[in-house]
Amino acid sequence: MNRLTTDQQRALGALLIALALHLFGTVMIEGYGSAFSLRAMLVLASLLALASVGQTLVIILGGIDMSIPFVIGFANVIAAQLYGDGMSFWLVCLIVLSLATLIGALNGTISGGLGIHPLIVTLGIGTIIQGAVLLWTAGFPSGSAPPAISDFVSIGGSAMGLPVPGIVPSLVVVAIAITLLLARTPYGRRVYAVGSNQRAAVLALISPLGMWTLTFAISAFFAAVTGILLLGFTGSAYAEVGQPYLFQTIAAVVIGGTALVGGRGSFLGTVAGALVLTELNTLLIGFGLKPSVVQAALGLVIILLVSLYARDPHVRTRI
Amino acid sequence: MSGTTTSNAKSGKRLGTGFLLYAGFAPLLFVILLVINIYLNPARFSPAAWGTLIGLAAPLIGAAIASTPAILGGRGGIDISVGPLMGFVNAVVVLVFIQMLGITSPFIIVPAALLTGLAGGVVNGFLAAVLRIQPIVATLGTYLVLLGVTLTILPSPSGTVPPWLTQLAGTWAILPLGGVLLAWWLICRLPYHGQLMAVGSDDRAAYTAGIPVTKVRFLSFAITGVFAGAAGLMLTALIGSADPAVGPTYTLIAISAVALGGVSLAGGRGGVIGAAIGAIDIFLLQSALTYLNVSTFILQISYGAILVIAIMLTAVQERLIGSGRAGASK
Repeated sequence: MNRLTTDQQRALGALLIALALHLFGTVMIEGYGSAFSLRAMLVLASLLALASVGQTLVIILGGIDMSIPFVIGFANVIAAQLYGDGMSFWLVCLIVLSLATLIGALNGTISGGLGIHPLIVTLGIGTIIQGAVLLWTAGFPSGSAPPAISDFVSIGGSAMGLPVPGIVPSLVVVAIAITLLLARTPYGRRVYAVGSNQRAAVLALISPLGMWTLTFAISAFFAAVTGILLLGFTGSAYAEVGQPYLFQTIAAVVIGGTALVGGRGSFLGTVAGALVLTELNTLLIGFGLKPSVVQAALGLVIILLVSLYARDPHVRTRI
Repeated sequence: MSGTTTSNAKSGKRLGTGFLLYAGFAPLLFVILLVINIYLNPARFSPAAWGTLIGLAAPLIGAAIASTPAILGGRGGIDISVGPLMGFVNAVVVLVFIQMLGITSPFIIVPAALLTGLAGGVVNGFLAAVLRIQPIVATLGTYLVLLGVTLTILPSPSGTVPPWLTQLAGTWAILPLGGVLLAWWLICRLPYHGQLMAVGSDDRAAYTAGIPVTKVRFLSFAITGVFAGAAGLMLTALIGSADPAVGPTYTLIAISAVALGGVSLAGGRGGVIGAAIGAIDIFLLQSALTYLNVSTFILQISYGAILVIAIMLTAVQERLIGSGRAGASK
């Protein structure tokens, strides 16, 4: 009970910061609060939140997934290539998502089964995947996304009578589903159990290896979904399209109050964290700062936010 | 049996040869890759070219050594800002000291580079150890700040360096690396090293035993900073100018080198010799594949594959030793 309230407090804190940033932007910058800018931010935040689904689950489990940007790039390029070759889009999605899930499962099996830090495993596997993709396309990916996908993520799009494209309500559904998954299913309980104390989880007859494999597979699945959607968003395939997501997914998770040591956290927090990051980025660009200054300011604000409410406890409190 | 293994490892580490016991497959890989490289390209690996060769490998080795102390401190200790810090030191040395102030004396530039690194390390240490922000996020913050500041003061490559600095990537390339290794060797003589390993293995037990955990972790980031300053100097010597794009590329490859060298990312196990060998392995691999003129994509795949396979073999090896221990204790 106590754990849940802390998570909720932190998620709420992040959400309030996002709202405060939005108000600040609306007052300071003309057009910041306009419908178009709001829609753009919602789409960007939804894409980031979608890419961070896996990172949230993996971090609650006590791991970290550095392969997300590589899997995003993999899905982006392969989907474009296969669709460009005239394959049915549903078949393309099936192939790409299955392959990505296998990659994720491999990440989880290696790090969980051999007890190797997932940072290195996912980085290594990610490097291999990216190299393979570049080799296959000879560095020049081609192809594009079907119009349906572009409409789904288009900033000007609308869905079900709402003034936002389909990805925004879909993300709400995903957020509810992941929250229920974590709170109401045996899988969710096991994720928290393994993340809090793996050895105790084994005594509770949970297989950490199975959990690691499954959770990393889910992570890669959502990364691949993001990669396919980004294809619709940017219009053309690009193997490096996922690179900004490497640290942004981690930052979104942490700003949302999920601890990197595992066993604690929520996906709603991550959604709030994605909103905070998107608001911040838009705000800093809106002030007309150079990209390099935006980067530096983003770094400072991440440190400031995290030091406000996502600090680790002192070692003396953990004895 | 298990007791002997452990005490051998300890006394071996004291003698500086213990890396064979904890560095996993990195030393074996080193020998194999070295033989392949010498066979492929004898001229490049002849004694006359050693200076240039070491100078070429130095920034990566330096970055790997620099990444090690923060990781040894455990509880997610890691410094991903090492690469950007190297780039920042590179920019500060060339732009501020050499171009703006016109200083070329090594007796000012070397301390200035190390102090710049120290400053970065102190900030990271304060954030990660004192404020207790999770290290990967704290150093991600400084990563972005350093990258942004470097790009602001140095939008494009420029500048030149004095001849003595260029020689540090040629004839005298062994000096900066030797200096860093000597510094770490001296640190290993101090009680601090034992405290760092204890904190990295189990910070709660270390705290109960009266070790100032926060101070030890703070210092580990400060040492990482100083070493990153030295690595930044090696980078400056190698490229002979200021370039904002080169430094950041070292972060992830350095962490891979550290892991390859048998340093546990959970903390408390490993050392800079292993990290350095891991870095040399990656350098030799790149060198051999570049010589064979394979595409950069294949280079990338082989680098990832060797990384994953080597750490898997190391983990299997540890498992075997571990199960032997468990059997002995029963």
